[in-house]
Amino acid sequence: MKLITAVIKPFKLDDVKAALQAFGVHGLTITEASGYGRQRGHTEVYRGAEYQVDLVPKVRVEILCDDEDADDLIGVVVKAAQTGRIGDGKVWSVPVETIVRVRTGERGPDAI
Amino acid sequence: MTSFAADRARRTTQVDRWLAELLGAEADVALVAVGGYGRRELLPRSDLDVLLLHGGRDDIASIADRIWYPVWDSGAELDHAVRTVPQARRVARSDLKVALGLLSARHVAGDPELTERLRAGALEDWRSAAPTRLAELHASYDERARTSGELAFLLEPDLKEARGGLRDVHAIQAVAAAWVAPAPGPRVRTAYEQILDARHALHEVTGRRLDRLVLEEQDEVARALGLLDGDVLLRMLAGAARTVVYAVDHAFRQSDRLRGRRLRRRQAERRPLADGVVEQDGEVVLARAADPAGDPSLVLRAAAAAAQAGLPLAPRTLDRLTECPPLPVPWPAAARDSLLALLGAGPAAVSVWEALDTEGLVTALIPDWERVRNRPQRNPLHTYTVDRHLAEAAAHAAALTREVARPDLLLLAALLHDVGKGWPGDHSVTGEVVARDVGRRMGLPAADGELVAAAVRLHLLLPMVATRRDLDDPVTVKQVATTVRSRVLLELLHALAIADGLATGPAAWNDWKATLVADLVRRVKAVLDGEPTPQPAPLRDDQLELAAEGGPAATVIGSEVTVVAPDRPGLLWRAAGVLASHRLAVRSANATSVGDIAVSVFDVEPEFGDPPDASLVVADLRRMLQGRLDVEDRLDRRARAVRPRSANVPAPKVSLIDDASDTATVVEVRAHDAPGLLWRVGRALGECGLDVRAARVETLGAEVVDVFYVTDGDGKPLAGEDARRAIVHSVLTALGDLPLGGNGLPAQDAGTVRRPVAWVLCLRPFLTG
Repeated sequence: MKLITAVIKPFKLDDVKAALQAFGVHGLTITEASGYGRQRGHTEVYRGAEYQVDLVPKVRVEILCDDEDADDLIGVVVKAAQTGRIGDGKVWSVPVETIVRVRTGERGPDAI
Repeated sequence: MTSFAADRARRTTQVDRWLAELLGAEADVALVAVGGYGRRELLPRSDLDVLLLHGGRDDIASIADRIWYPVWDSGAELDHAVRTVPQARRVARSDLKVALGLLSARHVAGDPELTERLRAGALEDWRSAAPTRLAELHASYDERARTSGELAFLLEPDLKEARGGLRDVHAIQAVAAAWVAPAPGPRVRTAYEQILDARHALHEVTGRRLDRLVLEEQDEVARALGLLDGDVLLRMLAGAARTVVYAVDHAFRQSDRLRGRRLRRRQAERRPLADGVVEQDGEVVLARAADPAGDPSLVLRAAAAAAQAGLPLAPRTLDRLTECPPLPVPWPAAARDSLLALLGAGPAAVSVWEALDTEGLVTALIPDWERVRNRPQRNPLHTYTVDRHLAEAAAHAAALTREVARPDLLLLAALLHDVGKGWPGDHSVTGEVVARDVGRRMGLPAADGELVAAAVRLHLLLPMVATRRDLDDPVTVKQVATTVRSRVLLELLHALAIADGLATGPAAWNDWKATLVADLVRRVKAVLDGEPTPQPAPLRDDQLELAAEGGPAATVIGSEVTVVAPDRPGLLWRAAGVLASHRLAVRSANATSVGDIAVSVFDVEPEFGDPPDASLVVADLRRMLQGRLDVEDRLDRRARAVRPRSANVPAPKVSLIDDASDTATVVEVRAHDAPGLLWRVGRALGECGLDVRAARVETLGAEVVDVFYVTDGDGKPLAGEDARRAIVHSVLTALGDLPLGGNGLPAQDAGTVRRPVAWVLCLRPFLTG
């Protein structure tokens, strides 16, 4: 089992959700996040006053899935979140040891 | 609605009979019911509060065992104590909870005389120590309100502990027991029964001793009470809780006053706050000469005065305010200004608004309010019911009044932004229609009414676009710019989004969203041009005639004061000082010139009562023009006599606008209104060695936006950065001396360079010195 985490631009969330639903993913977790990567925040000159953006608002999406689905899912997320400009974000996956569905106590792939 | 009162009484009688059987015939012993059981309010899962009272018998332990064990065996929750009368009184003296329980002590079985001795003794102790005990009670109430929140506005309220819940009524009874305030009236008793019935139904439905009415249980509890659904239940509880809150606040004010009186022991002073409104003993009451029946604006004037002073309206005053006839439609300007002053007071306005609402005065002012009153919202983001959310949003907006060119419209838009939730359909769309209607009712100028309506329609635009659209895409920014069209509206929408988000709840607004919205606003602002600078309003014929005569002359016609004199530094603000010394508040001022002759036109209104004799004002203005009047001294003496305002208003903001004029530097001052404000700002500019060449002053409710065109001693715009900083600093210092609330410290971003705002009028050069 894998945990896929994607950090994307906020306005791309609807597209990513729709694409994941079309793929058959029924559950995901969303967090409002901020940070920077190569984009590094940016300094703009606005009407003479320098304007510093330290942290850029992003959305973090987390999805649990079976091992064999992971690569396809990452592809789906990347395709949906891409604008081709700097700051599009990142997607990564990590192995997951255990998953338990709290309501029923189911474990493993059944709990996804 | 189903009442469970009979059920509670029956259960109480059954338990009484059972305990009496368990005790049997014993001398010098009594069983006393305390707490809820003492009040005959046994709910299905209530615990039994029982006190076994004795006169010092050695074998009391065996009697106690005989009673407690069967009760424990029955599975009932028992809260028990075994004491003699002196022991019980001693414990009550050190433990507030025990003392409160004893106030509802009721004889169940055994020797009635013993119970009576305890009751009388406990009451005597309570009354003799009333000042300290009531202070303790008040502190515990505040703590409870802080941790449990407010019943009326929470979507999952605690029926017992929340502010406006059952415990508050017990608190009123405790204050009444000390002979400090009257016992709860019929309205409070009805409200209490409603909340108690809801708690009763909650016990029935869940089979557990629960006090918190969680979302999942609300529909079922409503059905048990014979109500349609959870929404109806919450509306009913909100109404009941408001009644209780209002009564408990009043009871505690009475008890606090008892403490205060012991310290002061003198006649309470009456201090004027507004026309017909005075402060007395920490409350706002009507002046003796006030005439509610003939003064429709009095409601809002009194409310504004209360909120600005941070004081509550006295209950008997609210009672009398209901005699006020309805405001004519459209409202007179004074009523509108009072409403804005009320809303502009920020957090202090919320409780005043609640007080008005409890008496039905809000719906009398704004009939459409009825549809959002007590309206719950089934939505995990929202903390409050719709009406309270609106009041909270207005309170948050008051903190943002320095960020917008039109603070008055911001406050109105915040108060009305969700008013459409009372109608089916998209609330932004329905809200726009209602807001436009309300604007017309309030007599807003048509253009202002349209701005408020547009702000209501678009109040979700910025947060929606900022979080769901690509801000790097020029099309996004262009679309927003096309929809919003003006910087004035963009500023309003930005401040409104923040106020709305903060009033909704912690999940609805955070730094993450704020950053996105601010980014969008910044981009849209860059696309929108500033509005073209309007031409100065031409002088009327009579004013031109006066100017042609060359003055010095001064006239007062109705509320309009015109001062004409040859150019001279400091003329404008000295004239403003004369007006302030006659207790005339400057609502707006326009300064311009014809050749070498300066013409200043003021629109004024009396702070209290009737306007002063025009001839006296004219005489003083003439003396000032001839240099024979020391305005400064007179105003300083007056400033010391004014009551400091306690409303927590945002700090003043002073900006220098660079590109508004080629020939002068433009200083914009946004501040909370106060007597003599124009005079102080003008004097501060004068002390910096500046000439005020033209000015435009506008009072919007309780907020002031002043613009001054100034030049240095040589008649040139200011160059050096140091000089500019010095101006901002000295104006802020002058404003800090004002009897303003808040800390009076300069705002963080004071002194930044801004673009000119829409309504800045480019006026022809005035005084050249």
